[in-house]
Amino acid sequence: MDLSELERDNTGRCRLSSPVPAVCRKEPCALGVDEAGRGPVLGPMVYAICYCPLSRLADLEALKVADSKTLSESERDRLFAKMKEDRDFVGWALDVLSPNLISTSMLGRVKYNLNSLSHDTAAGLVQYALDQGVQVAQVFVDTVGMPDTYQQRLQQRFPGVEVTVKAKADALYPVVSAASICAKVARDQAVRNWQFVEKLQDLDADYGSGYPNDPKTKAWLRRHVEPVFGFPQFVRFSWRTAQSILEKEAEDVTWEDSGTEDQEGLGRITSYFNEGPRTRPRLPHRYFQERSLEAATSL
Amino acid sequence: MESSDEAAVQKHRIHLRPVSLRDAAPVTLHLLPCEVPVNQPAPVGRFFTPAIRQGPAGLEVSFRGRKLRGEEVVLPPGLVGYVMVMEEKQDFSEGPENDDEQEEQELVEPPEALERNFDCFIGATASFSRFTLWGLETIPGPDAKVRGALTWPSLAAAIHSQVPED
Repeated sequence: MDLSELERDNTGRCRLSSPVPAVCRKEPCALGVDEAGRGPVLGPMVYAICYCPLSRLADLEALKVADSKTLSESERDRLFAKMKEDRDFVGWALDVLSPNLISTSMLGRVKYNLNSLSHDTAAGLVQYALDQGVQVAQVFVDTVGMPDTYQQRLQQRFPGVEVTVKAKADALYPVVSAASICAKVARDQAVRNWQFVEKLQDLDADYGSGYPNDPKTKAWLRRHVEPVFGFPQFVRFSWRTAQSILEKEAEDVTWEDSGTEDQEGLGRITSYFNEGPRTRPRLPHRYFQERSLEAATSL
Repeated sequence: MESSDEAAVQKHRIHLRPVSLRDAAPVTLHLLPCEVPVNQPAPVGRFFTPAIRQGPAGLEVSFRGRKLRGEEVVLPPGLVGYVMVMEEKQDFSEGPENDDEQEEQELVEPPEALERNFDCFIGATASFSRFTLWGLETIPGPDAKVRGALTWPSLAAAIHSQVPED
């Protein structure tokens, strides 16, 4: 799989796709949606769609595609190569969401949680297939969150398409299995060839599975803490595991939106009932307050 | 309140090493919309600078997993920025560079030495004429506090200058 576009810049998102098979623009198609790398604290999350004409579903099934989790890496690579050979009727597209995009979305001023990000990415890929002229008749999606509400949302967005959202869809429908293979192959390759944005010394790739509960992953995170910058962008800062390591082993960072506990010049409300003079600091003129200027008489 | 402030000023006199201003080499600066309450070197060149991207609406980067958008701020004409560092307390000798100030001081009343061994000294380690100003998810824009702060020197000069008598 050619991920050179991602390797050039892996700070955002990156869409890759196969050419659309001519037959998919003429005949009604089934389209599967699945993802890889949702749980890990490291690396990108990859969303994939795979589609083929309803009339050729049996041929796709004949490839013996299965849920990518039940396959070995070499089996997945072999199946992905087969899908390439069948490019006259099988098409696919990917959306690679960098760990930096995931972190900045989830840690935004307005929180954009992983479920919403996932739903929007999946819908974006279906829309992409439609825009490319694929005659999408049926969409099968492996669920993220509650299948019913997810199905409703997708059905509303794509009224002309029959949408099926199900848990374990990657084991039930060959187009979803195929999508899960595309996603997993891309995710594994992206992680293996990750181009670190940072100029790191003593970088090692011994990060285990990347899942937060993997002791190897945790040990790698601890080894790569930088007191000021935290982690390389390869790490999803928004993950609980990453944050708790930073809380213990990196410097604190206070943001302008990180809470307004102490308002300047105001004491506790009970202070109004106390005897004695209230000590209220004399504030400088508004001109200086508005510009955060302070006199440098003492440093 | 006021008197105690003045007492503090009396106690902590701060001296600038003028010679350091001449040697200060230009440096790249980033002003982030957050506080890191430590004072120590950070590997900006390895972690931050390589991650800066030119986006459609200006510079983009992330820090600690949060998105920043930035823009260049050029200092107003006539101003130079310096990165000042407080010297570690140590026994010091009066450098020849303080001669000018010494003379001025002699005109003033108290015969006390200008530099006392409990005074602080600051020196410039770098200079700048522009810096990158970063905002959390939004470009700071013309209303940024620091842009306002940069208008103070010209206002200060205006209110302290002699008013011509007509």
